[in-house]
Amino acid sequence: MSSGGAFGGNRGLRPVPPEKGVFPLDHMHLCDLDKKEYLNCLKTAGNKSEICRGFSKKYLQCRMEKNLMAKQDLAELGFKEGNAESAVGKTTERIGDQEQ
Amino acid sequence: MMRMCLTGLAFGMGVLTIFASPPLYRTFCQATSYDGTVTRRERVEEKIARHDSNQTVTSREIVVQFNADISDGMPWKFLPTQREVRVKPGESALAFYTVENQSSTPITGVSTYNVTPMKVLTTEEYSILYNRIYFNKIQCFCFEEQRLLPGEKIDMPVFFYIDPEIEDDPKMNGINNIILSYTFFKDKVSEE
Repeated sequence: MSSGGAFGGNRGLRPVPPEKGVFPLDHMHLCDLDKKEYLNCLKTAGNKSEICRGFSKKYLQCRMEKNLMAKQDLAELGFKEGNAESAVGKTTERIGDQEQ
Repeated sequence: MMRMCLTGLAFGMGVLTIFASPPLYRTFCQATSYDGTVTRRERVEEKIARHDSNQTVTSREIVVQFNADISDGMPWKFLPTQREVRVKPGESALAFYTVENQSSTPITGVSTYNVTPMKVLTTEEYSILYNRIYFNKIQCFCFEEQRLLPGEKIDMPVFFYIDPEIEDDPKMNGINNIILSYTFFKDKVSEE
């Protein structure tokens, strides 16, 4: 299927695949609770990702536990242990909900 | 279908784009090297580790917004699950899209994505030239067939990372908004 025209043509640009490939679909909704907690956090946090990193981490951990994501140390993907410190090591906000 | 006027937004918001098509992409899915070149592109984990040890500090808040489209005749409801995610470069971030098969038959779809702004073509050529991609998709649901049963509704995650070096690049000055767009096509090969 050609989508070059629809997206303005290829113009010599190459597609860039996601680095770790594709997420399998969570057909059984095994990680829905963690997903909802993350999304609810975003709503209350002005959609700031930094504030809700603990929930992102929990969601990805759930995926790993349920074999919906290749297991790896989430610190390598920017999730430090302890508080919701961002990967770039700057001062972070303490979040009351970060129970790891 | 949600459609945003990208042309109107492009210069108003000062925004970035990468285009992709599924057939080309499948080749890349198996490849581990970028564009088949000898120079290996730095992986996201390597970037994260490097900026961590450098104690890189970023300050720009980038608003990532989401667009969802379906091709004509595709009986799926496809929407971003959240309106936006505000993220600083260097923070890996999670976002979701919700997909529902509203037909009475199983349907397999394949999605492609765009990232805008398109300040962009120059930026993209620049990034290809210097092997630097600022908006990194770590993992997503795109480019592989996704099969939904009739009535099935699923949330599809996108896990991404914006390179801190976007703050050092003068060409990326004023880029505070990124729009991530996905379009689902009906997969003709495995039509059921």
